[in-house]
Amino acid sequence: MSTLLRLEIRRMLTDTRFLILMLAMPIAMYLLFSTIFAGTPPVNGMSEAVRDMISMAAFGAIGAALMATAPRIAQERTNGWLRQLRIMPVSTGQVITAKVLAAMTWGLPAIVLVDLTAVVAHGVTMPAWQWVAIGGLLWLGTAPFAALGTFLGYLTGGESAFGVTYGIYLFLAALGGLWMPVTILPTALQHIATVLPSNRFAELGWRIAGGAAPTLVDAAMLAGWLVVFTGLAGVLYRRSNALR
Amino acid sequence: MSENAVDFNDVAKNFGPVRAVDGLSMTIERGETVALLGPNGAGKSTAANLLLGLLRPTAGRVTVLGARPDESVAAGRVGAMLQDGGLMPGVSVAALVGLARALYPHPRPLADLLVEADLTGIANRRADRLSGGQAQRLRFAMAIAGDPDLLVLDEPTTAMDVEARQAFWANVRGYAAHGTTVLFATHYLEEADENADRIVVVAHGRVVIDGTPSKIKSTAGQQRVRFTLGDESIAGLDRLPGVTAVDLRGPSVTLRTTDAEATVRALFAARDRVPDIEVHGADLEDAFLALTR
Repeated sequence: MSTLLRLEIRRMLTDTRFLILMLAMPIAMYLLFSTIFAGTPPVNGMSEAVRDMISMAAFGAIGAALMATAPRIAQERTNGWLRQLRIMPVSTGQVITAKVLAAMTWGLPAIVLVDLTAVVAHGVTMPAWQWVAIGGLLWLGTAPFAALGTFLGYLTGGESAFGVTYGIYLFLAALGGLWMPVTILPTALQHIATVLPSNRFAELGWRIAGGAAPTLVDAAMLAGWLVVFTGLAGVLYRRSNALR
Repeated sequence: MSENAVDFNDVAKNFGPVRAVDGLSMTIERGETVALLGPNGAGKSTAANLLLGLLRPTAGRVTVLGARPDESVAAGRVGAMLQDGGLMPGVSVAALVGLARALYPHPRPLADLLVEADLTGIANRRADRLSGGQAQRLRFAMAIAGDPDLLVLDEPTTAMDVEARQAFWANVRGYAAHGTTVLFATHYLEEADENADRIVVVAHGRVVIDGTPSKIKSTAGQQRVRFTLGDESIAGLDRLPGVTAVDLRGPSVTLRTTDAEATVRALFAARDRVPDIEVHGADLEDAFLALTR
């Protein structure tokens, strides 16, 4: 399985379009938002520059996890690689785990690069433990999104995978409060936001930046979404390999 | 080692109203090399998918190496080359062969595999940048990487040129020689004739005939007697013993017959001269066309 994981990670190195999109975009958006909202007062001991940094790191990590999985898997269904895997001694669990872990690996550069941009552009400083805790938790928290991307890849057809996934990505980001704070949204949408994995994901970072620990609810919800998406992905993987 | 390699027990597979496989029964013993021969749409690929666990039968049972197909695949005892199998883009040929090796319990050395599949020259090329024939050789290397007990090849040489095809079959014969059971699906008659111990002819989803190449030819084929007719008429030729068809082409006539000896004897009895006479044995093509009509 480790060979499969290694290959899944390595193949993304050859996809320059993906790399540029997933790494450059969050940095660009961070610079944009942190400049627009520069005058906002700190909330919960967290400066606007830091809040935006965490939002964009989360945004980048989610994007990397989703776009590394769904479009690729949809393509594998079309080009026959999935059938090739099915006739080799590798289990459903191994295939999906390798995909999810590889996607998570690619979430990390997005987080690190946005953090670096925040330091360089706005002189953001935090105690060392906060950097590590935020980075580490955000990295771990990409798991449910990697699973979501895997599920979407097996769900959608080859052509529509990219569009559908990107649409869901933007929906999760917007309604999860990664662009504008959730408090700006109408009350009804605010309730939805608290259930969305994107919101809970960013909360991991926001709470630490505010000097508190993430809540059990945050962790439980993310774990729950991970289980749901992984399960759905597994079911669809087995079924998608039937020819018709 | 007493189990059969493959057992199809009255297997049916429907796709909606289409009966792709319709009461197919066959047994392949360990160590045999068997060709599944039939025209397009005969059910060969469906049969291959059934025995690899990619499809489940609508009725009947498929057993591979004494177990369910997916169990034998999971145990690493089966290697397969699919007609529409894909490759992982963005990684090298050697990396993919390495992956196949890593998944099987008893892999063969990488260097051996690259040589046998003639991949050493392109070992570092990306898998999504290969020609059709190169991709087929890569899929062959992945199929044999685990030294499987059963090798399943679905139309394995379609994109290969003549040399590659010959090298391919030489390799497969090598595997068969050391005990691997080989089942290949093809619509090329010569390929089946030249490389299989036994041919299972399928059409319309079921077995039409099952036997050695010579048995099939003698059962369903017809012999041909050809000679130069010149200016004479063909009248009466069709009434000779055994003759089923008379085919005139230019100065020579070909008689199809179920009993060449009787036909030739009668020819010489009826005529002073039978110039340029040739007698040909049954042709597999005739047999095939007759059986699968």
